Amino acid sequence: MDKLIEILRSVCPDVDFETETDLVGSGILTSLDIVMIVSELMAEYDVKLDVDDLVPENFMNAGTIHALIERAGSK
Amino acid sequence: MDITSWRFPVFLLAALAAYVLLPQNRRWWALLAASLLFYACGGAAAMAYLGVTAAATYIGALLLQRLNDRRAAMDQEARRASRRAHDRKRHLTAGAVCCVCFGMLFAVKYWDSTASALGLRPLGLVVPVGISFYIFQSVGYVLDVSRGKIRAQRDPAKYLLFVSFFPQMVQGPIDSFGHLSPQLLSGRKPDADELRDGIQLMMWGFFKKLVIAGRAATVVDAVYSDAGAYPGSVIAFAVLMYTVELYCDFSGGIDIVRGAAGLFGIELAENFRRPIFALSLAEFWRRWHITLGEWMKNYVFYPLSLSGAFAALGRFSRKHLGGMAGRILPTSLATFIVYFIIGIWHGANLTFLAFGLYNGVIITSSILLAPLWSRLKKALRVREDSGAYKLFCMARTSAVVFVGRYLTRAPWLKMSLIMLWRTVFDFHRRRLIPGILALGMSWTDLVVVGLGCAAVLTVEALQERGVRIRKTLASKGALVQWLFIFIPLTVILLFGALGGGGSEFIYGRI
Repeated sequence: MDKLIEILRSVCPDVDFETETDLVGSGILTSLDIVMIVSELMAEYDVKLDVDDLVPENFMNAGTIHALIERAGSK
Repeated sequence: MDITSWRFPVFLLAALAAYVLLPQNRRWWALLAASLLFYACGGAAAMAYLGVTAAATYIGALLLQRLNDRRAAMDQEARRASRRAHDRKRHLTAGAVCCVCFGMLFAVKYWDSTASALGLRPLGLVVPVGISFYIFQSVGYVLDVSRGKIRAQRDPAKYLLFVSFFPQMVQGPIDSFGHLSPQLLSGRKPDADELRDGIQLMMWGFFKKLVIAGRAATVVDAVYSDAGAYPGSVIAFAVLMYTVELYCDFSGGIDIVRGAAGLFGIELAENFRRPIFALSLAEFWRRWHITLGEWMKNYVFYPLSLSGAFAALGRFSRKHLGGMAGRILPTSLATFIVYFIIGIWHGANLTFLAFGLYNGVIITSSILLAPLWSRLKKALRVREDSGAYKLFCMARTSAVVFVGRYLTRAPWLKMSLIMLWRTVFDFHRRRLIPGILALGMSWTDLVVVGLGCAAVLTVEALQERGVRIRKTLASKGALVQWLFIFIPLTVILLFGALGGGGSEFIYGRI
């Protein structure tokens, strides 16, 4: 989880990923941020994410993003 | 059918009566009949384009559904083994539907301007109202079926209603099947609150369209028809009026169609969220024509950003550029392409190509320069949550949008550039008022447009603060509620540009 937070911070330095619970619904993350995060995650974790994975529920907070990577890794 | 003419309320009343009188499970018939009648007013060719779009997307979605169902019936091992072949078939089917729909859109909307640039024979086809909107909506449906997000509609008549629902035919919104179709088919009777809300929303839309946009159009049409004859100050005023006209024309139109749909208990997707309060150009486009932005995000930006080519570009830029620049280059390029497409979507000539480039370059630059800007703000100790900073950002966005408007209304790119040049280098401040009055805009027009804009700004500022105007009104007595229908109606009848040339919607021609 620490590694994930570090990666997320490197993409969006102004976002508090440790405490925010609804990053998409509250408008903190835009589609641009999501794509940058996904590109970074795919490079760092060597996983393949699809367009179908880019739904708000997967980017609500650090926990849901972590779950997304775990699911992608087990595909 | 012109929705600002007296025929529209009559048509709407007849459709509503038929809808309410039919049994619940047959009410969607009334919506389909009204939609086909509404579109038939556009002529046989318009109906043919609609028919081709509906048929191609209906058949394509059924084929995709069959592919998805076959795969779902397989065991996990077989499903994994067939993934590539399945994806290839899916992409081929969806691609074929896209070729038919976008090919037809290209032939109708873009061929003549392309042909004249290449010295080829134009087709001279009439662009029917709403073609871009229903084609994008139908293609979005096919892509959603392809991705397994929704199941294909088997009933062709029910599907045709989704493609042709009449309020959307004027200027969108581009709704999703999952959101719109269940509402169209539910046959739910609207209650008294929905009827009142729908009428109030329509009145507000008519006010913006007929009172503000209709009057502003006078000076806009005059200046743009012969821009070379005016000093920079009058040109700048005309561009400002065009900005006002477009804002009130588009948002007014959206309010009218959302209000009309609301009379049937149907809530169309939000398409316009007070872009005047946007803090950046990217945010402006997230608030302006929201459903087009969503469509571009889901079906262009995301697939493009995650494509193999962009992944390879990402690896290359990380390796050779490193740091933030290497990380954001692919995303910036995808963003640029999306805004470029949005620009072309708005029109089929060089001015819109330039408009797309203008937006793409500014937004891409702002992404690339974001780290530098962030450091500058820290050095200057700028507080991002302060009112002054937000005001500065809003003014900056409005200025960028204002300059962009020079590009979209002029018939030729050269004229846009001449107008911009004259505004900067040939202003002639003293010729402004006599120039405006000579254009046919009286003092009364100026006052009406000014007060109208003030009313729109006040309402939008309240909404931005979270005040829900119609809900607040609903808590008042019946007299107050009906007054808020009759006062706008009186203002529209007294000051609206009724029956004039300004009745056509700008986005209706897209």
